[in-house]
Amino acid sequence: MTRTSPTTPASCSALDARTGAAVDITDVHRSFGEVRAVRGVDLRIAPGEVVAFLGPNGAGKSTTIDMLLGLTKPDRGSVTLFGADPSQAVRTGRVGAMLQSGALLPDLSVRELVSLFASLQPHPLAVEEALERAGIADIAGQRTQNLSGGQSQRVRFALAIVADPDLLVLDEPTVAMDVEVRQAFWASIRTFAASGRTVLFATHYLQEADDFADRIVVMARGSVVADGTGASIKERVSGRRLTAVIPDAGPDQLRALPCVITVEHIGGRMSLQCSDSDTALRAVLTQFPQTHEIEIHQANLEEAFLRLVATEGAAS
Amino acid sequence: MSSPTAAVLNPRAAAPRSPAAMTVRYALLSAVSTIRNGRFLVFTAALPVAMYLLFNGLYGQQDAGDGSSLTAGSYLMISMACYGAIGGALNSGARIAIERQTGWNRQLRLSALPGSGYLIGKAFVSLLVAIPPIVLVFALGATVGKVHLGATTWVIAAVAIWLCTIPFALLGLAIGSLATPDSTQPISMLIYLGTSILGGLWVPIDQFSSFLQHVARFVPTYWIADIGRDAVDGSGLQLVGIAVLLGWTIVLGAIGVIAYRRSGDRV
Repeated sequence: MTRTSPTTPASCSALDARTGAAVDITDVHRSFGEVRAVRGVDLRIAPGEVVAFLGPNGAGKSTTIDMLLGLTKPDRGSVTLFGADPSQAVRTGRVGAMLQSGALLPDLSVRELVSLFASLQPHPLAVEEALERAGIADIAGQRTQNLSGGQSQRVRFALAIVADPDLLVLDEPTVAMDVEVRQAFWASIRTFAASGRTVLFATHYLQEADDFADRIVVMARGSVVADGTGASIKERVSGRRLTAVIPDAGPDQLRALPCVITVEHIGGRMSLQCSDSDTALRAVLTQFPQTHEIEIHQANLEEAFLRLVATEGAAS
Repeated sequence: MSSPTAAVLNPRAAAPRSPAAMTVRYALLSAVSTIRNGRFLVFTAALPVAMYLLFNGLYGQQDAGDGSSLTAGSYLMISMACYGAIGGALNSGARIAIERQTGWNRQLRLSALPGSGYLIGKAFVSLLVAIPPIVLVFALGATVGKVHLGATTWVIAAVAIWLCTIPFALLGLAIGSLATPDSTQPISMLIYLGTSILGGLWVPIDQFSSFLQHVARFVPTYWIADIGRDAVDGSGLQLVGIAVLLGWTIVLGAIGVIAYRRSGDRV
């Protein structure tokens, strides 16, 4: 398996600060029966980083998060948070998490529930502050079983921050939210993270990862397949795509040019996947001066992501 | 919101930090959540009350026939109070399977509440649910059943039965922590009826075969009712009964703690 090395300054500092890392996951494996959900994940996150965990369903994101939070034990490998065992980090109130589809205790009001959870934390925020930050002060009196999906998510967010944690873990937090609510929700997270807290969120919304995270860790089939900024991932995986009408040029000739990775012939145009589109373009123009209608595209994250997943699948 | 709960839930109150304080608050709020679900309380008390009225109508005025000074009426009252109390304790504990299934336990695992605090909180709620059946059956015994006891005896018998349901509260928690949500109901019902019948709550054990009589003495239900009867007829406590109940409490408590620690996994 090809393991991708981290490419951003942020992740380099995480490696340097290994002992002080907010999250330190080393060669973690976890299977459920025959299913190898997580197959050797290494991840270090420095304090203050905002990291997106990106991947399709079944990539192993949630299992990794469960191990990170001490909810399930890895079969192999180690997980520490701020140098301590996850369960100890939870006990000392350093970790808050919003779990995927975590239900709320019924027959209590929102305020009572948040207040209950606050009282189970060693150094909680004031309950009113948590309600305020999560934007649910107006529904604090409602019983938890009467909330909409988006409202429940906000209550879960309140439960996650009420511990006043240094590390905030969010497992697909914006599921069940409409666009407006989603934006307001990210604004709350930004405010909370601004004070130097570490945030790790799982998502399969690529835009969300690109917009909000300093660093994106891409998971597929239980492994980390890429780790870097949104821009560096796009750059590294797919570079740019050059399309043009190139008379008299055969695919083999084009493939032989420098920095050209793949060549496709689409509707009279040649489409060249390039690791460096500038070098490739110079070579094309030198050999085929009649080339015209030249276009160069930056691959979007969606493309980058699909390619990463596909490449990893082909390799394994 | 009524004033006692308001005091418990006041968000401006200083946040308790110690594990003991967390346990108390967790227990109180779990109790509030359970009490608000009135249907559950009614259902747990209805069956033993109905059965008491039925059996008492049939046999109430006979002699208990077990060599004690008890009338069948008071014998039945004790048996049905036990039956109701263990039902409440068992089923209330088993309800945590629902909290497990919906993922609330995973959320709870992300707090500083220790495993023992969780267990104590849940056992407290289970014991709370065990109170109404005892009180109702005793009240019916005193009125409809014409059981006449001194005030102290009533209280001692009720408290003795109530405290003896602790193993069943823990048994409920163990079932709720280990069984799947679908199997929780049948498993707890099977254990409920099985231990009730085997422990002689429906039919006195001296009508059993000698083998079953022997088995009954390892069943906690038998000793709960036995301790209740001893309280009523004024004979002293039997240490063997306490020992059997204590043994069950320790084993089931350990299972409960281990099961809670495992309950972070998705169901």
